[in-house]
Amino acid sequence: MLNYIWAGLIVSSFLFAIGNDASDLARDRYRNGQPLPVVLTFPQGYDSAARRVPVEIRIDPRQYATFYQTDPSVAPAASYPGYLLQTREGTQLRFAAGTTLPEPLATIGKVSSSRDQELQGRLVGPAPTASGVVFEPVRFVKLNGIAAAALDFAKTAAEIALGLVGVLSLFLGLLKIAEHAGIIYALVKLVRPVLRPLFPELPPDHPALGLIALNLTANCLGLGNAATPFGIKAMEELQKLNRSADTATNSMVMLLALNTAGVQLVPPVLLLGLLGLQINQLVFPIIGSGICGLIVAITMAKLLGRLPGYRASDPNR
Amino acid sequence: MNSIRAAIGLLSIFVVPLILVGFPLYGLYKRVPVYESFVEGAKEGFQVAVRIIPYLVAILFAIAMFRASGAMDFLARALAPVLGLIGFPPEVLPMAIIRPLTGSGSAGIVVDMIKQYGEDSILVKMAAVMFGSTETTFYVIAVYFGAINIRKTRHAVPVGLIADGAAMIIAVWTVRLLFG
Repeated sequence: MLNYIWAGLIVSSFLFAIGNDASDLARDRYRNGQPLPVVLTFPQGYDSAARRVPVEIRIDPRQYATFYQTDPSVAPAASYPGYLLQTREGTQLRFAAGTTLPEPLATIGKVSSSRDQELQGRLVGPAPTASGVVFEPVRFVKLNGIAAAALDFAKTAAEIALGLVGVLSLFLGLLKIAEHAGIIYALVKLVRPVLRPLFPELPPDHPALGLIALNLTANCLGLGNAATPFGIKAMEELQKLNRSADTATNSMVMLLALNTAGVQLVPPVLLLGLLGLQINQLVFPIIGSGICGLIVAITMAKLLGRLPGYRASDPNR
Repeated sequence: MNSIRAAIGLLSIFVVPLILVGFPLYGLYKRVPVYESFVEGAKEGFQVAVRIIPYLVAILFAIAMFRASGAMDFLARALAPVLGLIGFPPEVLPMAIIRPLTGSGSAGIVVDMIKQYGEDSILVKMAAVMFGSTETTFYVIAVYFGAINIRKTRHAVPVGLIADGAAMIIAVWTVRLLFG
């Protein structure tokens, strides 16, 4: 299943990127090679021979809308700060770095930009007042975009994983003490009546049950950081009972089901931050939907595990 | 009701300190060499983190590409009429699609919806309850199965997604019932 979803994500992103880029090119969305009409205002007493002259760039909203065929609601601002630069290739017009530009200029700015991230283009028409500016041609934005996103998130993924090192070490260390002190076994006795039916494959006194209890408790209380090490440790215990190295057992799927259905007795900190005290009204709907999700998760884990295909792949069959 | 909530809130504040202090203290009482045990266990932290990297990279880069290509928006638009049949407003659909894939992405959707529809709107409430009652299924799968090198996940993905779907539909219905 994961094979198909994963390949599907990659293939469909490629097809969509290509499709979007082709339609952009066909519609000439970025008007490659054609001058965008601009009006330049110079400061008083400027030196026309200078290599660099500050200017104010005005773009008529109506001309902009017809030029790029955009919605009038994405109109450009009244004026933009910028400067003219004399280069060997001619006069360059640069928008000051950090200006917020309307689409599609913002996208063009990502491609046609100077070293300092300023949107830049070649000035055409009679200087110094000029009539238009031509940007570098923009092609295959989405295709570049998905490649950039992939590289970016590969880095993010490694950062997330390595960012867990400290918390993982802390809680795995505490768990080792708990194991040696017999806390886990005491917990197993406590939760056995509730959890045993969900994990019939486990021997009655198996330490995994205690770890699962810790994992679920931390999850319910919104302590995601503490819950993860407990869950991982529980998975390791389950893996010890697994006859296969790389195939999930029914117990593992059940533990995952309990974790993916997030019953949160305490609303997520993130929501609290976004919605403030309004969250109070939502606490019970959140708990209620979470419990429904949990019931569905347990039922589905049990039911799907009985399907012939999944039963055949069960390593503990 | 309020006292139950207050009790839960208090409990969640005390759980981590209780584990941090309680485990070593109980260990001492049981004459466990607590420092040595701690270090022995903590050693695994780095290996576990490194072990999940390939799984996390695989999942996250594919999802990032999917989002950057515009395919995710398309999927949301294509599914809207179908889900409208079960009372699912099209505005909260992006939430339903992105929630199992990325936690930060779905939080971004809540932020975006607050800007668009206002904090008090029923749509924001629906999205918030959906966010609160489900988990980032693919991330959880990558981390938990990655840590023990499980590659054949069997029915884990369908179970997680069906549970997410059920919780989300219930979330929409409940919010409509309470605030609609």
